[in-house]
Amino acid sequence: MWNKPWSIKEGFTIGAGLIILGLMLQISVGPIAWNYCRWPVNIILLAVFAAIIAIFYIFRHKVYFFNFIGTLQSGVPTIVYAVILTLILGLTRQTVDGEWLNDMLSFWPFVLIYVYLDFTLGIVIIKQCHTWFLYISKVLFSKNKIVFPYSRLFSTLFHLGLFLTLTCATLGNADMHRLKTIVYTGRAEWRAMDSENRIRELNITFELKKFTIETYEDGTPKRYASDLTIYTPDGQTIDTTIEVNHPFKYKGWKIYQSGYDPSSGPFHQSSILELIKDPWLPWVYTGVYIMLAGAVFMFLFSGKNPQNNKSLAVE
Amino acid sequence: MIMFSWDTFIYFSILSLLFWVSGAIAAWGERSKLALTLSIGGLIVFFGYILNLWMLLERPPLRTMGETRLWYSFFLALAGVIIYSRWKYKWILSFSTIMAGVFIMINLLKPEIHDKTLMPALQSPWFAPHVIVYMFAYALLGAATLVAIYSLLKKTVLSTEMPLINNLINSGVAFLTFGMLFGALWAKEAWGHYWSWDPKETWAAITWLGYMVYLHYSLMPRQNRRVAMWMIIVCFVLLQMCWWGINYLPSAQATSVHTYTS
Repeated sequence: MWNKPWSIKEGFTIGAGLIILGLMLQISVGPIAWNYCRWPVNIILLAVFAAIIAIFYIFRHKVYFFNFIGTLQSGVPTIVYAVILTLILGLTRQTVDGEWLNDMLSFWPFVLIYVYLDFTLGIVIIKQCHTWFLYISKVLFSKNKIVFPYSRLFSTLFHLGLFLTLTCATLGNADMHRLKTIVYTGRAEWRAMDSENRIRELNITFELKKFTIETYEDGTPKRYASDLTIYTPDGQTIDTTIEVNHPFKYKGWKIYQSGYDPSSGPFHQSSILELIKDPWLPWVYTGVYIMLAGAVFMFLFSGKNPQNNKSLAVE
Repeated sequence: MIMFSWDTFIYFSILSLLFWVSGAIAAWGERSKLALTLSIGGLIVFFGYILNLWMLLERPPLRTMGETRLWYSFFLALAGVIIYSRWKYKWILSFSTIMAGVFIMINLLKPEIHDKTLMPALQSPWFAPHVIVYMFAYALLGAATLVAIYSLLKKTVLSTEMPLINNLINSGVAFLTFGMLFGALWAKEAWGHYWSWDPKETWAAITWLGYMVYLHYSLMPRQNRRVAMWMIIVCFVLLQMCWWGINYLPSAQATSVHTYTS
């Protein structure tokens, strides 16, 4: 062990070290308090994270470990650890007041392994973009014919898309607003409850005109919808129908049909709405679309190139 | 228009299987055009049945296990046709026919209740593409798993089998990615958030990451092919957990966010 070049064994050992570090943090400082990761703390964390990735890449020839992170010998064990920890998440009951394994999303070893995975993605993206840059400049300026490795394009797209999605979904989670409100027919409602059960005043006002529910023969709901009038601060009056799978968009907010009160009998006078604002969503979706593009390339080019199974090599 | 219910399934499936079996025989005889025509004929008959069931139920037949098995049979056969037309493996049509036949048999022997109800959350344009791409992915990854088991039993993994396995896994993972991300985009519209670590989502992530282990391991310069084949089998087991296993998992009971009354 630790004779250069490092192998998959060193990769597994580093991952195990991270898990032990995570357990020590869990014991000493307790679970991760995600609610501190709000604007502007999250953007500062992002800047620091990106800066460390850049430093690791710049000094990869000076520090052996920095260069090791982007290799398969490091990456494969990291994904294996991510699978194992996510398996534990899938096999244990997650509860609101859970601790340790029952609250995996705030469990240090789980989060540290995912951060390490994300960090690896960042390094690999720079590595691969560097390689693409070298290919493109060769194709443009070299007289020799160069085969452009289209079949590996999906790999870069996957790494980039996943990095964006993971990073922005995690850092932006605490910036998401989720409010619930119950609206009644013939009554204006401008208040809503946040996730910590605090009353918040909205700058728009809802009025339920009608709640419709259709059921199947066995009584299970087939469709339910709220006919609403929304009064906006600039004096507009919007009439709309909100139902499951058809939220209403208003200035960065999405308003969802969340539920209804089944105890109120067949003539529902009320409806439960959910108001959600997620400022980081465009970045998460950018990542999702890049991954979708990656999947398209992966399917189109699988088996088209005899060198399909070669990794993109740098330098 | 005549509506074909589940009672008529047996006739359609026998007709489709006849087409597919004769297509598979034609493929062994190296008559690739005939093989493709016959196999596509079987696909049309089978899809005709699915379409009719769709109209009869007044919703996409994608909700019950029996209905998803219907699509699984269809996509196994379709995957066979696509792989055959692309890479001309002459055994693939026999394989896909047998696999599709197994799932048709399960549906004939153990039909599950096919009622009309479809909860509001599932009434979305995302429903059909989400489940269909997943079924297609499962078909491709199932095919890869069988080739992996076959090569493990033979005790040697031939170099000629590796490109086949990798083609199947690459295509399968591409569709697995479509399924997962379509699911995320849909979840945002239906439940307000694209990822809630719901048991189904957690297991989808486990499965996807599992295949990522294989994809990266298979790029390593010195690899143990038997280990790689075992990875494919383990990933397929994880996939089964995600597909139907979580219904029996204690940790996943009553914790789903997929409920709508409060």
